[in-house]
Amino acid sequence: MKMTFYPKMAWMGIRKNSRMYVPYLLTCAGMIAMYYIMAFLAFSNVLLKVEGGEILNSIMGLGSIVIGVFALIFLFYTNSFLIRRRKKEFGLYNILGMGKANLAHVLIWENVMSFLISLGGGLTVGILLSKFSELCLLKLVHMETGFSMQIDWEALCRTVTLFAVIFLLLLLNALRQVRLANPIELLHSEQVGEKPPRANWILAIAGAVILAGAYYIAVSIEDPITAMLWFFVAVVMVIIATYLLFIAGSVTLCRILQRKKKYYYKTQHFISVSSMMYRMKRNGAGLASICILGTMVLVMLSSTICMYVGAEDALRGQYPRNINITVATYDQAGLESGICEDLTGQAEDAAKALGQKPENVIDYKTAAIAGSINEGQISLSKTTLEQYQVDSYSDLWQFFVVSLDQYNRVMGTKETLKEDEAMICTIKADYKEDTIAVEGGKTYKIKKEVEQFVPLASDAMSIFASMFLIVPDFDAWTQETEALLAAIPPEEFSLMLDRKIQYCWIYGYDLDCEDEIQNQIIAGLKNSIETYKGQHPGTNGEVFEIYSGGVATARESFYTLYGGIFFLGIMLGIVFVFAAVLIVYYKQISEGYEDQSRFEIMQKVGMTKREIRKSINSQMLTVFFLPLVTAGVHLAFAFPLIYKLIQLFGIDNLQLLICAAGICFVIFGLFYVLVYRLTSEAYYSIVSGARER
Amino acid sequence: MSILEVNGLKKVYTTRFGGNKVEALRNVNFSVEEGEYVAIMGESGSGKTTLLNILAALDRPTGGTVQLDGKNLASIKDSAIASFRREHLGFVFQDFNLLDTFSLEDNIYLPLVLAGKQYQEMHSRLEPLAKKLGIISLLKKYPYEVSGGQKQRAAVARALITDPRLVLADEPTGALDSRATDELLRLFNTINEDGQTILMVTHSVKAASHAGRVLFIKDGEVYHQIYRGDSTEEQMYQKISDTLTVLTTGGENR
Repeated sequence: MKMTFYPKMAWMGIRKNSRMYVPYLLTCAGMIAMYYIMAFLAFSNVLLKVEGGEILNSIMGLGSIVIGVFALIFLFYTNSFLIRRRKKEFGLYNILGMGKANLAHVLIWENVMSFLISLGGGLTVGILLSKFSELCLLKLVHMETGFSMQIDWEALCRTVTLFAVIFLLLLLNALRQVRLANPIELLHSEQVGEKPPRANWILAIAGAVILAGAYYIAVSIEDPITAMLWFFVAVVMVIIATYLLFIAGSVTLCRILQRKKKYYYKTQHFISVSSMMYRMKRNGAGLASICILGTMVLVMLSSTICMYVGAEDALRGQYPRNINITVATYDQAGLESGICEDLTGQAEDAAKALGQKPENVIDYKTAAIAGSINEGQISLSKTTLEQYQVDSYSDLWQFFVVSLDQYNRVMGTKETLKEDEAMICTIKADYKEDTIAVEGGKTYKIKKEVEQFVPLASDAMSIFASMFLIVPDFDAWTQETEALLAAIPPEEFSLMLDRKIQYCWIYGYDLDCEDEIQNQIIAGLKNSIETYKGQHPGTNGEVFEIYSGGVATARESFYTLYGGIFFLGIMLGIVFVFAAVLIVYYKQISEGYEDQSRFEIMQKVGMTKREIRKSINSQMLTVFFLPLVTAGVHLAFAFPLIYKLIQLFGIDNLQLLICAAGICFVIFGLFYVLVYRLTSEAYYSIVSGARER
Repeated sequence: MSILEVNGLKKVYTTRFGGNKVEALRNVNFSVEEGEYVAIMGESGSGKTTLLNILAALDRPTGGTVQLDGKNLASIKDSAIASFRREHLGFVFQDFNLLDTFSLEDNIYLPLVLAGKQYQEMHSRLEPLAKKLGIISLLKKYPYEVSGGQKQRAAVARALITDPRLVLADEPTGALDSRATDELLRLFNTINEDGQTILMVTHSVKAASHAGRVLFIKDGEVYHQIYRGDSTEEQMYQKISDTLTVLTTGGENR
C-alpha cells in the first residue's frame, strides 16, 4: 500500500464531511486562540507595570484554566456529533474490506490533520489578537502602552501541550467507538428504531420544585451577606432544574397535551406536539446547556459591566472625599486632646505644599458600637444574642452615634430634636420600629429617617448593615452607654462584638486637581501622619488608630481589579456565546438529517410543502427560542440576588444594573436570532435536499 | 363508469445538464372501472413507479392526460393538489411510510387530522376499520414495536380511513414475508369485495394473481392485459407467468 493512502483517505473524509468538519475545526481553532490569549495575558510582563498587575495576571490565569476545562468538555461534545455521522462511512469501509486497523490509521491521520489545521489557525489568530486584547485590557484598567508584537513562548507551549492532550483523548475515544462496533451496526447506526419518550413525572415535578425553590431563594433574600452565601446554592439549583425541566419536563408537557384529544387532534398541533416530544428527548440536554451558558453570559456580563461602570460610585462610597483621615480610639478624652486640630493642620499643609486648596471639608465625631436589634432594643450581651439566636454576621448592625449639632453642621441643615427624640439613617437594611434604645438605657422616639449622611469609609466596604443615630445630647448618650457596657460582666460579651464604645473622628476634603498631584499630596500627608503617630501613640492606655487614604491611589487598584474582572467577563462571554452557537448549529444539522425521511413521508401522505414548512418552522422556533426565553427568565429572577451582591462591592445603582442586563440581553438575543437565520438555512437545505436529489 | 382514465401518457426525464433524455413512459392508455382491482406488472425499469407517481399526482406527465372521476389531474392547481390527494386517493407503500414519532392509531388518523376532522368522527371511523383489519390491539403501539405485516395493515387502514375513490398500492407485498403477504392479499380482496377500487403496482406474480385484471407494461407502454374472468387464483397465476415468459423472452421479436 502506498504511503500516501491513509493521508489521502483522511483528507477525503474531512472534505466530504465539510458540513460537520468545518464548524468543528473552527471551534477547535477558536478554543486554541482563546486559550492562548488568556495564557499570554497570564504571563504578560506588560501587565505587571500596572498597579496591582499581579492580580490581573492571576485573574487571567484563572480564566485560562476555566477555558481549558471548558475546551475539553466542549470539544468532546462536538466531536461526538462528528463520530456519530461518520460511523456509517466507517461501516461501509469495513464491509469493503478495510480492517479495524486500517480504519484506525485513517482516524489517526484525520485527527493529526485536524489538530494541525486547528492549531495553525488557532495560534495564528491567537498571536494576532493577543496583543490587541492586551491593549483592550490595559485600556480597561486605564493604562497606556506602546504597541509591540510579541510571542510568549511559555503560553505557546502550554497551549500546544494542552490541546495535544485533548486531541489525543478525542482520538482514543473515536478509536474505542470504532473498535466496539461491528460493520453492520456501523452501517445502520443512524437508523436505530427509537422508543417513544416516556413522561417522567417524578423528574419533571422535581425540576419544577427545584426551580421554584431557587427562584424563591433569589427573590426572598433580603441582605447581601445571605445573598452571597446562597448565590451558589441557587445557581446549582437552577442548573439542575433547567436540565430536569428541559429533558423530562418538556416531554411530560407534550404527553399531557397528547392526552387532551380535543387539543391534540388539530392540524396545527398534531404533528408539532408529537415531533416536539422526540426533539426535546434528543435535544433536551443540548438546549438546557445553551440556556445555562446563555444565563451565565448574561449574569456575568451584566454584573461585571455594572461593577466596572459603577466603580466611581464605589470609590466615592469608600472615600467620601478625595483625601480622608479617620482617627479611632476607645478613649473619648483622647479625641479631645488636640489630635484632631493637629491632623487638620497637617492635612491642610499637605495640600498647600503643592499649591492646592481643600474644598468641601467634612469634619465630625461619632461613637460606634455593634450589636443586634430586637424590638427596638440594641442588645450587646451574649445572652441576648443567644436568646434571639443571632448566630451570623448578617443579623448584626453597626451603630454610629452623631450629635445633632455635628449633623446640622456637616449637612448644613437646621434640624431640631427634643430631648427624647432621635433621627436615624440606615444603610443596607431597613429599620421599622418607632423607637430605639440601648438595652436597659433611655428610649428615643424616632422623629424621622433622613435620606442621607456622609458615608464612612469603613462603612461602604463593610458587610454589616449600619445605622447613623443622631441624638440631641451626644455626651449624655455616651455616658449612659459606657455605664451600661461596664455593667455587663466580661464573660457575657460575644466574641463578635466590641466591648467598648469606639470614638471616631472623620475628616476629609476634596481637591480640584489631577490624580497625580493628589497622589503626591496623600503621600506627603501619610509621611507626616507617620511622624505624628510616633510622637503621639495614644492617651490613657488606648492607642490612636489613624487611617488616611486618597481616592486617586485607590482608583488605580480599583480599576485594575474591576477592569480585570470585566475583561474576563467579556472573554468568557465570547467563549460561551460561541459555544451556544455551535451547539445550535450541530443540533440543526443533525435534526435536518433525521427529519429528511419524515419530511418525505408527510408529503406522500398529503401535506403540502408549505404546511410542512410551517409546522417545522413553528417547531424550530419553539425549540430555538425556548433557551433564550428561559435564560431571560433566569436572569430576571437572578436580578435581586445580583443587585445584593454588587451592593457588597459598594455599588448601589439599580438603574445601571437594569440597563446593563437589558443591553446584554438584547445583544445576546440579536446574536441568537442571527445564528437562527443562518443555521435554519442549512437545516432547510438538508431537509429538502432529500427530494431534489 | 370508469373512475380512472389514462390517455396517451408520456413522461420524459432529462438528465441534469440536458444531455440525455430517458423516455420512462411512451404512450400509456388504460382505464379503471369503479370497483375494479387492477394490477400493473412489469420488470424493474419498465416505468411502473413513474406511472404510479403520475397517477398519485406526485409527478407531472410530459404529455397525455390522467382523469380521475372525469377531472383532469393536470388542471388541479399546485396549492390544491395535496388536499386533492388526501381526499380522493389512498396510498399503500412498499416500505409502509409510517411516521415513527406516532403510534399506529395516530398514523392512521394523520390524513383526517390534516383534513381538519373532529376527533369523535375520526374515532368512529377507525373502529370498524380496525376491526376489519385486525389491528385493534395494536393501535396504541409504535411502528418500531410491530412486525412488517402489522405495519402494512396499519398503512392500509390509513389509506382507507378517508374513504378514497381509489387506493394506489406500490409493491405492497415487497417487504413482507409469505405469510404476511397472503394475509395482506386476502385483505385486499375483502376490501375490493366491499366495493373499493384498487390499483396495485407489483412484480410479484402471486400478488397480481389476486387481482381482477392484470396490465403488463414494457418499455413504457401497456403491452398486454389479461382478465381473471372465472379462473381461479391458480389458473390466473399460470396465465400471468406464461405472459411474463413471453414478455421477457419473446419481447425482442415483437
